[in-house]
Amino acid sequence: MNTIQHLSTEAPSVLGGHRLLKSSSCSYFVTTAHGFLLARRMLSGISQPEKYRRILVNSYNRKQSNSSNTTVKTSTKLPSVDHLTPSDAPSVSNAEGREDAASSSQWKERKDDGVDVRAGFSSGKDKKPALLTDSFEYFAFLRRLKRTAEKLLSSFPLAIAELAIIGALCAVGTLIEQGQSREFYLQKYSEDWAFGLFNGEWVLNLCLDHVYTAPYFLGLLALLAASLIACTSSRQIPLVKIARRWRFVNSGASISKLDFHETLPHARLADLAVLLAGDKYQVFMRGPSLYAFKGLAGRFAPIGVHAALLLIMGGATYSAIGGYHGTIMVPQGLNFMVGEAMYPAGFLSQPPDSFDTEVHINKFTIETYPNGEVSQFRTDLSLFNLRGQEVSRKVISVNDPLRYGGFTMYQTDWGISTIQIHVDGEGPFNLVAAPLQTGDNKLFGTFLPIGDNGLAGAKGISMLARDLQSVVIYDSNGAFAGVRRSGSEKPITVDGVTIIIDDIIGSTGLEMKLDPGVPIVYAGFAALMLTTVLSYLCHLQVWALQVDDSLVVGAKSNRNRAEFAEDLGKLLNFVPEIVRDRSMENIAPIISSTNEELSMQGTSAKMDNESSRS
Amino acid sequence: MKFAFLCTTGFLTTRFFQTQHLPLGNLYESLMFLSWGFSFLYLISNVKNKKRLSAPVLATSALLVHAFAVLSLPHKMRESMSLVPALQSQWLMMHVSTTLISYATLLFGSLLAIVLLSIFHGEIKRYCVGNLTNNFEFRNKNYPLISKNFPKQIITESFSYSLFLNSRKCQLIHLLDKWTYQAISLGFSFLTIGIISGAVWANEAWGSYWSWDPKETWALITWLIYAIYLHIRINKKWMGKGSAMAASMGFFLVWICFLGVNLLGVGLHNYGWLI
Repeated sequence: MNTIQHLSTEAPSVLGGHRLLKSSSCSYFVTTAHGFLLARRMLSGISQPEKYRRILVNSYNRKQSNSSNTTVKTSTKLPSVDHLTPSDAPSVSNAEGREDAASSSQWKERKDDGVDVRAGFSSGKDKKPALLTDSFEYFAFLRRLKRTAEKLLSSFPLAIAELAIIGALCAVGTLIEQGQSREFYLQKYSEDWAFGLFNGEWVLNLCLDHVYTAPYFLGLLALLAASLIACTSSRQIPLVKIARRWRFVNSGASISKLDFHETLPHARLADLAVLLAGDKYQVFMRGPSLYAFKGLAGRFAPIGVHAALLLIMGGATYSAIGGYHGTIMVPQGLNFMVGEAMYPAGFLSQPPDSFDTEVHINKFTIETYPNGEVSQFRTDLSLFNLRGQEVSRKVISVNDPLRYGGFTMYQTDWGISTIQIHVDGEGPFNLVAAPLQTGDNKLFGTFLPIGDNGLAGAKGISMLARDLQSVVIYDSNGAFAGVRRSGSEKPITVDGVTIIIDDIIGSTGLEMKLDPGVPIVYAGFAALMLTTVLSYLCHLQVWALQVDDSLVVGAKSNRNRAEFAEDLGKLLNFVPEIVRDRSMENIAPIISSTNEELSMQGTSAKMDNESSRS
Repeated sequence: MKFAFLCTTGFLTTRFFQTQHLPLGNLYESLMFLSWGFSFLYLISNVKNKKRLSAPVLATSALLVHAFAVLSLPHKMRESMSLVPALQSQWLMMHVSTTLISYATLLFGSLLAIVLLSIFHGEIKRYCVGNLTNNFEFRNKNYPLISKNFPKQIITESFSYSLFLNSRKCQLIHLLDKWTYQAISLGFSFLTIGIISGAVWANEAWGSYWSWDPKETWALITWLIYAIYLHIRINKKWMGKGSAMAASMGFFLVWICFLGVNLLGVGLHNYGWLI
């Protein structure tokens, strides 16, 4: 039972790694976090790593000497603990180092008292059951491995370097055109840049033509993710535990070690409590000590930022290895099967049942503004299932895709598939159009052969179209013959042949995507937006202790220290100072002293009767 | 300057009513919006009483951007035009406006950091930027002169220490650093929202939330450099000079992201091209 007692009273200190002050810590292990950790300790009760055992022994020692300077000693570590910030590189190793220093100092102290703890310690070690030695060693090794990995990965210069190198590689990717053919790079970088050190060969060998999917880039991203995880688990979460746990303080000396501290003579705790509560702090008082905090979200939000980034990276990875993607150019009036146009992106891709849908293009139109510029591309789509029933129908446009069965269909491109004409009253004939120019200014052309010269010497009428509205017609010699709008029914006679342009039939360029990682990425986006804004809240903590007649106040903020100091100073100015002047019955409050006004102490004061009688 | 703000606002609103879409369609309109952003920041700093320090920076920026937009861009770009299909979306307002506002704020913060670096190049460490604490050893390390002259128990609440802290130079450095931090942190939040809204828009419109478009990539690089700035600011060893250098580099990166990428002439963000 004794050991369990130890566990319960020492659980907070063991897990936080730093000693709390010896106030009545009974209240601590009722919190759920502690309950969980306690349970964990109990379950693995037998296989305790050596370090924990040593700490147990040390705290046992400290229990022996309650009123000694050990409290002050432990308290000296506390301010520095609070100076720990998420990215402070030396601090984690220092914390462990300090622990060792503390334990060694404990050793030195204990020698005098004659309690031979070392004997107890070693005997405790011998009592370890032989059966579980291997598993104990194994766990200890794993734990050590995890700790070393965390220490390495969460180092601050490493994180900065990672971010900087990823940024530089991204920049390189924009300077060198990505995804072109091999000859493109050999040709473009053929003149010896940088005195022959850099040319097309280098570009290809270093994977600079596809930087964003190059192995070293992906490896860097993975390293960044690992650093984020390590930083969150080894620095931020313990800090949160400490921030929530270190509440009441029983020694004025430790308060004086804080960033900002004041001593207010002749002041009362209750007044300060009221003022803090009025300034939106959450105030807790117990006996002579007080703890108040504000803006707890500012403590958790940086963790949230890292978690959101990890979510985004995880979702993007899942998309990259588990999705489907396909593009297709379909002439108006034709069909295609969704599954045939889709290609898997990676090894985790699973085709859903909705891939058995047939898509039919009812109509494709281009809308224009009055000045002729394109305003919108619209495609009227119908989706049919295997039984031929229409399951979906929608007119999609550029910013308005069709979503069905997990995949999404976007309008991304367009073309001209055929030009429908009547020739000499006969027809309609569909002439297939070929793309002559792609990109933003498209040009399509088709050819109506005249005469019977065979394939080699075919001569005929050329028709060119830039959009779905009009066709430019050239005769057999290449001379310009005329322009006709589609559907105008106006004939044109070229080289003895009468042509009526009936219609220009377009084809729609559709892009289909199945992206399983999108919900995860969206969740990450939302979390990132929220937590980035929240992490600018300051987490402010105020401790106060009533020492005889005066009040020792200390405060700490995790950001923006200067302004916080000013604000708190102004607030403290309002704490009334109680001066009992026996000659006067009515006394009124005066502004309490700040540092410069120490000399104004003892001047006659007036104060409200009610507040002075306590 | 307030008059200039009113004029720019009037200009933007009339364009809005004329074309039925927010005036953010091409480079000219974006630059005018940026200069409006600078004058808006000027108004805010006016209200918050930090006008004296930020006014020279903001007013000059607004003027220069405005001048560039009006004087150096081709005349055809200045006509209000209708939006191409890809831009006809509700997302336009949110994505472009937040990104431009973030550029304005980040540029402001970075300019302050450049001011800090250029004026107080050698002395930032001595005045321990950002660390107005009463922490005894830290102060001892940085003000050896004081600790020699005064007995230790007075130092923690020393009258002359406050005097020293209140010296003009020290105050100026602290103020510059503080406002750099505030401006950049605000701009960073906006930039995050801007990048994310761009990604969501791209996903809704074209099915891919990140396609390594040059402008997207440079926005990400800018985001990374300001994340580096925020992290350096926490580290006690590197804060002060290191953070100012990161923020100064951010200035150039924002300009590359905004204007430099348009010179490349490739990618999805072709609305900003100079052609």
